[in-house]
Amino acid sequence: MNALVWLALMALAIGAVAIGRIDIALLFAGCKTLLVGLQFMELRHAARLHTAAFVLWAALVTALLLLLAR
Amino acid sequence: MTATAKRALDDPPGGPLLWIIVALELLTFTMVFVVLAVFRNRQPELFSTGQDALDPHLGLTLTLVLVSSGALAASGVHAFRRERPTRARRLFFGAAATGIVFVIVKAFDYRAHAAAGHGLGTDDFWDAYILATSFHLAHVLVGIVLLVAVGRRIGRTIQQGEETAVAGSALFWHMCDAVWFFLFPLFYARIAA
Repeated sequence: MNALVWLALMALAIGAVAIGRIDIALLFAGCKTLLVGLQFMELRHAARLHTAAFVLWAALVTALLLLLAR
Repeated sequence: MTATAKRALDDPPGGPLLWIIVALELLTFTMVFVVLAVFRNRQPELFSTGQDALDPHLGLTLTLVLVSSGALAASGVHAFRRERPTRARRLFFGAAATGIVFVIVKAFDYRAHAAAGHGLGTDDFWDAYILATSFHLAHVLVGIVLLVAVGRRIGRTIQQGEETAVAGSALFWHMCDAVWFFLFPLFYARIAA
């Protein structure tokens, strides 16, 4: 599973640079953060409230930056 | 020593203390991200000029190095849980070594920019770039020290809370990943014309 997540992270990073748009890059950053949080930080196995707090933080940061950055 | 079962709120993977630290760090970096995003929006010409001196391929290289390092650390935690301490120790040292590669690449990046006359005091873009990325780099350095310090102890000393130390040091390292994921596009993704 770690290897799959690693491949997905690499693909998202390369994709963000290849596309070169800030909105896409920030969306990919949010996805990468969720992947790292759920798999590498092991939040899949944490208490639901803990997992939800992290997912909410990642979603809010991504949304906020999408609104603010250009 | 398993993380596959759901854990209680007061027993998160990596321990509550590390999670409090990570939460505070993530909130601090969130403020940095917001300031950078507002700066991009308010001074697009200055930001775009600064970006001319940044190489997105270097930023991508840094991302790939950090992501690979994070995967090694995560695999190290899993190996530790499967009671394979030698493999866990090697994976932790591998994660630290790739972290050192990140630091070396970043040092060359700073040196190249300094040689081109870009640094603190040049303009707002370079102030933001140096301060934000060096703040992140300081966390990477702390993470490397944690990985080496904990990695050295894996399988050699049996101490209470060793699982928390192993998972906690990896957790701090993954926080460095997550922060870089947002810093990277904010600096390297070009401003639309």
